[in-house]
Amino acid sequence: MSPTRPIEKVLVANRGEIAVRVMRTCREMRIPTVAVYSEADRGALHVRKADEAVFIGPAPARESYLSIERILDACRRTGADAVHPGYGFLSENAELARALDRAGIALIGPPAAAMDAMGVKTTARRNMAAAGVPVVPGSEEPFAEEAEARAFAERIGFPVMIKAAAGGGGKGMKKCDRAEDFAALWQSARREATAAFGDDRLYLEKFLEKPRHVEIQVFADQHGNCVWLGERECSVQRRQQKVIEETPSVVLDDRLREAMGEVAVRAARAVGYVGAGTVELLVDAHRNFYFLEMNTRLQVEHPVTEMVTGLDLVRMQLEVARGEPILAQEQVQRRGHAIEARVYAEDPARGFLPQPGKITYLRVPGGPGIRDDSGVYAGWVVPQWYDPMISKLVAWAPTRPQAIDRLIRALGEYVVHGIGTNLGWLAAALDHPEFRSGDYDTGFCARNAKALVRPPDPSLERVALVAAAVAAFKRERDAAEAHAARAGQGAARSGWARAGRLRALRGGGR
Amino acid sequence: MKTYVALLDGGKREVTVGVTRLATGQYEVRVGDEVHRVDAYAHDYGTLSLLVDTRSYSAMLDDRGAKVHVQVDGSVFPLELLDERKLRMRRASPRASVEGRRAVTAPMPGRVVKVLVAPGDAVRAGQPLVVVEAMKMENEMRSPKDGKVVEVRVVEGQAVEGSALLCAVE
Repeated sequence: MSPTRPIEKVLVANRGEIAVRVMRTCREMRIPTVAVYSEADRGALHVRKADEAVFIGPAPARESYLSIERILDACRRTGADAVHPGYGFLSENAELARALDRAGIALIGPPAAAMDAMGVKTTARRNMAAAGVPVVPGSEEPFAEEAEARAFAERIGFPVMIKAAAGGGGKGMKKCDRAEDFAALWQSARREATAAFGDDRLYLEKFLEKPRHVEIQVFADQHGNCVWLGERECSVQRRQQKVIEETPSVVLDDRLREAMGEVAVRAARAVGYVGAGTVELLVDAHRNFYFLEMNTRLQVEHPVTEMVTGLDLVRMQLEVARGEPILAQEQVQRRGHAIEARVYAEDPARGFLPQPGKITYLRVPGGPGIRDDSGVYAGWVVPQWYDPMISKLVAWAPTRPQAIDRLIRALGEYVVHGIGTNLGWLAAALDHPEFRSGDYDTGFCARNAKALVRPPDPSLERVALVAAAVAAFKRERDAAEAHAARAGQGAARSGWARAGRLRALRGGGR
Repeated sequence: MKTYVALLDGGKREVTVGVTRLATGQYEVRVGDEVHRVDAYAHDYGTLSLLVDTRSYSAMLDDRGAKVHVQVDGSVFPLELLDERKLRMRRASPRASVEGRRAVTAPMPGRVVKVLVAPGDAVRAGQPLVVVEAMKMENEMRSPKDGKVVEVRVVEGQAVEGSALLCAVE
């Protein structure tokens, strides 16, 4: 089938590593790109990687990267005929999709209707249940009577979660293991809900034991074809934020994987999906799986899928947007194991405090099977305004243990000076016996919080003392030499000559 | 030989370090009772490549603050390095007291989103005083002690630099 819609110029409505990532593929496809940037990002890498760049406003995202009007205006000014939204910001905003449509600009993403169908969790849940996709069993509406609720709990099976309809922050939420405890816990949850929200309505959800977060990457074209590209396991999470992702997942065998893949495709078809999407599922200790939500965008962790399938998902997004058909399911091949670690500007030893600031030196790892998707460079001041993720480091190897060792090796090579990072924390997490065994779940970080913040290795203290003393000694000696040089002949020389003399002294040996 | 005294664990431990220059980049370093042959190569960007009795290490020094932070292979050691003159001065001055006024500073650049106290408020140790947002995360700056807020330096919405004074508790 011939392309139905050419793409001449892509505006990337995002920043950081994902903007750079999208521009890389566009460059390979010889499609010019436009960057947008806020006041905080004039010096950012994505501005330099693009062919054109447009200033779109102040540092706070809602006045720049989240402004649909400014994005549209940037398209008009540069003649961009397509927008790639990346992830975060406007990537799942149906309003942007509609506004671009009205302006005759292509969105490299799903149609607005598909975003609407998946955007609100309760709506998505209803749509999925109607399409025969398994959802976490629970009540759609709050219960009027305790007896009614209890009968429902017995039907879906204990343990169940009793939850406040107005809920949030864990208040008015009780886990009930046995029918005998139901009455007491129901009353207690109701009291808490009333106190916290002034609303005593309660509903029920099945409690999943040791849930693992497994998601399926799907891809659909404009001609009704839809494929799944394998899964990603995202069970190392900190405060609901994914930190490590891998594929394949150790909990799936081929039968379960195929069953989940088919369900994911069914979910995408049910909402008329087009483009890259991810169906997130929970897998419980008994290997039952349930629909959680669908992400209607390219995801942060897409590189692990690219590493094992050899596909370029951004390229596929652009091809689909041009109206080209996607590959057939039989053509999807997966090979080996890939793991991604998210490098954050944060201090794990101080409660993961964000660490914006100037990167004074940066050395990125390389070697066999390593990929670094980064949005930073040495000399760049990481702004305080945006997400603390600065890079994604991905390792591929034939087997899972080799991929783990390779990623730990690469993390050890990563050098970032000037700001704190979680590099050491990531290495500790990957090296933890629980992660290595593959028997981990979403409680991993909380359970091992202490073990993952490694204390300094006492055997290195001696080396630190040597370093500090030698550095101080050299500094004093250099200062003394510079002083002697100035006293000797400095007065008659120009500043440039003096600087040259100092440089020669420094290079000549200390 | 030049002699330094390193203060470790916040001044609880002292280790004497002696440095003798042998040739360009070559030193004999005495740490406590042990003597090491050291080859030091300084890179432009602040990293020191050290060969300590042939074992290879990369050390990164951050001396922007009062303390030197030395990072070796992922382990960070905060220490204070004093020569004889500074050591004498330190010993002559009275120890800094943990009583009295304590400043609460911003640990990173960010924006003040909430000021939870006013001058004169009684506060308890660990009580949140000011909330600073950086990189889409809210961070509560807590009181270092039981006491009274004597000064509030910031208002909501204000941008602050790292280590900026937010308020003080006495």
